[in-house]
Amino acid sequence: MLDRIASIFDYTLIHATIRSSTPILLAALSAVITQQANILNVGVEGIMLFGAFTAVCVSFFTGSWILAVLAAMAVGVLVSTIIGFAHLKYKADVFAVGTVINMLAIALTRFLLNTILKSSGSFYSAEIVPIPTINIRFLEKIPVLDSLFNKYSLFEVLGIVIVFILWYALYKTVWGLRIRSVGLNPMAAETAGLNVFKAKFQVILISGMLGGMAGAHLSLGYSKLFAENMTNGRGFMGVAAMFFGGANPVFAWIGSLIFGLADSIGARLQAYGLPSQFILMIPYIATIAILTISLASRIRQERKQKSSLNNLPNN
Amino acid sequence: MKKSNYINAILSILVALIIGGIVVAFMGHNPLEAFAQLFRGAFVGKFNFGTTLEKFVPLLLAGLAFAVSSKIAVFNVGVEGQLYLGAMAAAWVGFTFSNLSKVVHIPLAILAGMLAGALFAAIPAILKVYFRVNEVLTTMLLNYVAQYLTSYLVNNPFSGGTGVAQSPPIYESAILTRIMPPSRANTGLFIALGMLVFIYWLFYKTTVGYKLRSVGLNRDFTDYIGVNSRKAIILGMMLSGAIGGLAGAIEVMGIHHSFLDNFSSGIGFDGMLAALIAKSDFGMVAIISFFIASLKSGALAMERYTGVPKSLIDAIIAVFILFATMEGLFQLKRRMKSKKEVDEHVG
Repeated sequence: MLDRIASIFDYTLIHATIRSSTPILLAALSAVITQQANILNVGVEGIMLFGAFTAVCVSFFTGSWILAVLAAMAVGVLVSTIIGFAHLKYKADVFAVGTVINMLAIALTRFLLNTILKSSGSFYSAEIVPIPTINIRFLEKIPVLDSLFNKYSLFEVLGIVIVFILWYALYKTVWGLRIRSVGLNPMAAETAGLNVFKAKFQVILISGMLGGMAGAHLSLGYSKLFAENMTNGRGFMGVAAMFFGGANPVFAWIGSLIFGLADSIGARLQAYGLPSQFILMIPYIATIAILTISLASRIRQERKQKSSLNNLPNN
Repeated sequence: MKKSNYINAILSILVALIIGGIVVAFMGHNPLEAFAQLFRGAFVGKFNFGTTLEKFVPLLLAGLAFAVSSKIAVFNVGVEGQLYLGAMAAAWVGFTFSNLSKVVHIPLAILAGMLAGALFAAIPAILKVYFRVNEVLTTMLLNYVAQYLTSYLVNNPFSGGTGVAQSPPIYESAILTRIMPPSRANTGLFIALGMLVFIYWLFYKTTVGYKLRSVGLNRDFTDYIGVNSRKAIILGMMLSGAIGGLAGAIEVMGIHHSFLDNFSSGIGFDGMLAALIAKSDFGMVAIISFFIASLKSGALAMERYTGVPKSLIDAIIAVFILFATMEGLFQLKRRMKSKKEVDEHVG
């Protein structure tokens, strides 16, 4: 039993965790940036799916992964433009628009999969050029270091860089301050002379770019194919990770690492004959549990602060 | 619902159909013929119209479930999950008890389905009122839990043993009678319409309904007048979940006659969107879900006769809903028009 547990929790788990957390992380960052401006972007799931399809398509026809990633990001921006116009200009409920975008993404990618790539269900081809992995030769000789630091797909590394870029942009620049103030109190921001419409539109576009990138990573980095509805709730898990981190990119990153960890432990437990469905449930239940616990402790803290005020002698 | 909303819905339908027509034309099909087939496939003939009704029932119930929750200012995105658990509970009652008469067995299975849905919906409600966990997120995640849980059940303890992931067939005594053979439309239609009337009565003619509506309008005020808003929210969510569970129960008892793994494929979400367009007006939910149901059943026929893929119709439905959610889209033009009129009068 012990050696079984040891084989589940060995050092290779770290690589596996990062691998399965990256698609969620990129989706989470896409949700973080809009949430800072107080927009709950559930359309991430759909944007990702559009991005994944575009990336596979472009990579297949042009043979260039760079073009594929750029095209996926462009499509992400395009889709987010729709969300932006619908929500900001035409006053649609952003949650409804996000859900519709998800619905549209599933239907439209299925339709285009049939018409452009002439296949149904999924599309795989040797001509799809994936996003390269970073390989450092001399690390290959030492298995531990090789597993820990080597053979990461490009966006598994870039994702972490983006976390800190976003953090810096949001908390250390004037632009970030403005975005956050728009999110906290749009009327005050408007009074202070900020263009709320423009600020919100900006973050929605950036969110689309990140979402498209997440999709490209999913279909060209994480895997090398496109399948119908291949995001399979990863966008929603990204939103969950964003909530977990309270819309802070760094904490959202930690959140997505936890989901990634649950996912990779689950995959290993599966080898020991536990029914796969229970393992697949783990990240979802874990998210709810983590959120509940973090919010419960926040409520308890608030109560404590309140009660200590009540106990002041002059009160 | 305001008159402008109806106009908005109709204009959205037109725009979506025009966009769809253009795409169909680009694919080399005749759009008029495709839409004629779509209409024929939805309404002409017992089988076609029956299929529309068959798809209408779960959509209406899922839409109602979402509308009920939004009346108490809660977004129940988990209708899909409640539907799965309700279906599973109804199927379990259906294939377990063998010596019951139809009069006992059918209500029992339906109640089991509604209870399962209600209890499952109580989880996010409790988490929301006591821990302030966002219900959109929990219900969304719980959908996956429900789907995997039922998938486990039909693959392991409740497997029908046929190699297909489905439960044993339910007994004859739990089957809802089909009303329009050869289609699968069944007496569940009347149950669903009864539910629609009941919900309307409950919300607009009873004290409970008043309490629920006032929670939705202003939670603090509700607490102030002495109604426990927490209890009201939990009750409302359980009601919503029960309707979702009912949708699942009818799917099992009227359509599939056993629990098929993954049978829903987004009924809950489609219903939710119907409710969103209808702005949670119960009557309008029925109209919109009937419209979506006829598009879906028509799409099947259209694919069969013209080769235009069904996924295109799904995309058109999404485009229609996208336009319909944009409240300001068509009003803008009207405002410009009325402004012009005013100018003319002034001039």
